[in-house]
Amino acid sequence: MSALLLMAPALLLLLAVFVWPLLDYAWLSLQAQSVFTGLQPEPVGLANWQRLLADGRFWQDAGQTLRFAVVSVGLELVLGLGFALLLHQRWRGRGVVRTLTLLPWALPTTVMALGWRWIFNDPNGPINALLQSLGLASVPFLASPQLAWQTTVLADVWKTTPFVALLLLAGLQMIPADLYEAFALEGGSPWQSLWRVTLPLLRPYIFIVLLFRLAQALGVFDLVVVLTGGGPASSTESLAVYAYLNAMRFLDFGYSATVMLGMFVLLLISSAGLLLLQRRVQVRA
Amino acid sequence: MIRNARPTLQRRGLGQALVLGLALSLLFGGWVWARAPITVRVLMPAPFADATAGLVNAFNREHRDLRIAVTRGPFETESVSDLAVSSLLLGNSPYDLLLMDVTWTAKYAAAGWLLPLDAWLGPEPLESLAPGARVGNRIDGQLWRLPLVADMGLLYWRTDLMQAPPHTPADLVSMAQRLQADGKVRWGYVWQGRQYEGLSCVFLEMVEGFGGHWSSTEGNGMGLDQPPAIAAAAWLQNLVAKGVTPAAVGNFAEPQALQSFEAGEAAFMRNWPYAWQELQGPGSAVAGKVGVTTMVAQPGAPHAATQGSWGLSVLHGSRHPAAAVTVLKALTDEASQRQLVREWGYTPTLEALFEDPELVAERPLLPQLRTALDAAVLRPISPGYAQLSDILQRQLSGVIAGGEPPHTAMDQAARASRLLLEANGQGEPA
Repeated sequence: MSALLLMAPALLLLLAVFVWPLLDYAWLSLQAQSVFTGLQPEPVGLANWQRLLADGRFWQDAGQTLRFAVVSVGLELVLGLGFALLLHQRWRGRGVVRTLTLLPWALPTTVMALGWRWIFNDPNGPINALLQSLGLASVPFLASPQLAWQTTVLADVWKTTPFVALLLLAGLQMIPADLYEAFALEGGSPWQSLWRVTLPLLRPYIFIVLLFRLAQALGVFDLVVVLTGGGPASSTESLAVYAYLNAMRFLDFGYSATVMLGMFVLLLISSAGLLLLQRRVQVRA
Repeated sequence: MIRNARPTLQRRGLGQALVLGLALSLLFGGWVWARAPITVRVLMPAPFADATAGLVNAFNREHRDLRIAVTRGPFETESVSDLAVSSLLLGNSPYDLLLMDVTWTAKYAAAGWLLPLDAWLGPEPLESLAPGARVGNRIDGQLWRLPLVADMGLLYWRTDLMQAPPHTPADLVSMAQRLQADGKVRWGYVWQGRQYEGLSCVFLEMVEGFGGHWSSTEGNGMGLDQPPAIAAAAWLQNLVAKGVTPAAVGNFAEPQALQSFEAGEAAFMRNWPYAWQELQGPGSAVAGKVGVTTMVAQPGAPHAATQGSWGLSVLHGSRHPAAAVTVLKALTDEASQRQLVREWGYTPTLEALFEDPELVAERPLLPQLRTALDAAVLRPISPGYAQLSDILQRQLSGVIAGGEPPHTAMDQAARASRLLLEANGQGEPA
């Protein structure tokens, strides 16, 4: 009983900021509440959900969002691990570099997205100016669907790799140095020690990083809005952007809530998949 | 006793003074409150807030009982709408007046956010406007908005490179290619090809110019899957394929097109009247070498200019609608419009100003702007316009930047538009 009492504040908070909005959205997704109904809610049953299932744009955006999350988080993990290993070594100027590495993460996303938009501008951005001065044709980075998508991934990787590196660096510092010494005494090479000592002991940190980053990447919004506006041909549009368009531009709140819930389900499945993976890896180890 | 009487008297005196003071300050406060001017709050996009600052200051100097307080919104059109919508959704808007883009009117009116103006403005409030400026303000028989400045798409051309501007789409391409081949310009024609509202504006002019329509109550309604619309989309796609337009156009909004044309890189540009002013500035390589005309069209089809005017609406939640209407009238009257034309180069909406010899002498562009205004076409009027336009932009962007075949893309656009309207019990929009 006292346990329940002690937990009550936290539970109430969770109810207020998590469960209540979710229920509210679930209710809204069963209403037609749009500019066509004068913004008044009208119960429509599962009409919004039927529309969602048949909405090619929702599925395109879901695919793009998932692809964006997997590719960018994957790249960030590999690069972040590399940086973390480098920053874990002792060398002159390490402190300065550690601080500098964090800069992209400290920059507000909107600011850095504006920066990338300018860098990749065609034809007046620095990269295209460089290409042209070398006698090459300028590249429409943000005007071609494939290139714009890749540019968005690049900007996200640039921004969030420091975050991954920071968390993994903290994990590396938890590994006792004598383990490495013992491994070396047994004749293990540094390469082997990475696979046999570092990575297994870093595993919990890697999963935490993946969980954080996956949730963030699946909800990507500001980067897309500023860098590409979702275009061209909606190739960089994420689910969050689609939900925003429905609510703020189209004034279709019922459907926007349905898209948000669809996104929530996607996030739930991804996180559950990740946790299952973690359990299987643990059992095998 | 006597010794004690004094303090009592003093105390009583003090109390009286306090009561008197309180009463006086209440009276004074009430007087000040009664005399405090009514403040009319206006939300405007930043460029308009800057342009009207002089008018607003003059108004505030002249009126003791009425004050205008302008909130300087963002630069981008859609960001202003986002700001307005977020405050309106909360139910208690802090603004009395909103300067609105022509495409917002139907949506805001349907949402119940606007006050009908007929009762406030008397009979025929639009009579003094140029005919092209009258449309788009009245929806379902009610007046929702009074236009402040007109705005319409124009074709800019280089007077130093050609005798006369092209009239047909084919002319434009052949003239552009010749100038490119001669090394006079790097690009033939720059316009707005980014996936955003500007692309819908570009397309509307072309679909009309090919003899079709986007969506209309006359004829067969949805026109996006009709041959003229497909021809217009294919023409835009070909501009990029032929190298007349840079591939970068897929990410061009107005500023990028202007930058390219201003640097003397392009023979033609599609833009709004504001560009004229910029092109005559000190940083321009083409100052004095620029002409404007209406967009090219096939023989027999109309030369169309997308209507993009800005107008003032009274918000439904305004606590001082009468005062708001007074301000609305003052900001859109002849003297105000004259000042906006003279000082900022905006296009007026009042018919008389286009024919004012003094103003025309100062702004030689006015007759051409008048021609374009007469050719102005509206984007579909529907509460769902934002979504209709979004559907079109997405497919057009696929055609221009993604190499989608025009007919499949336009078929999809038409199908999605019909679905949206049918699902919401709407006929084809006007």
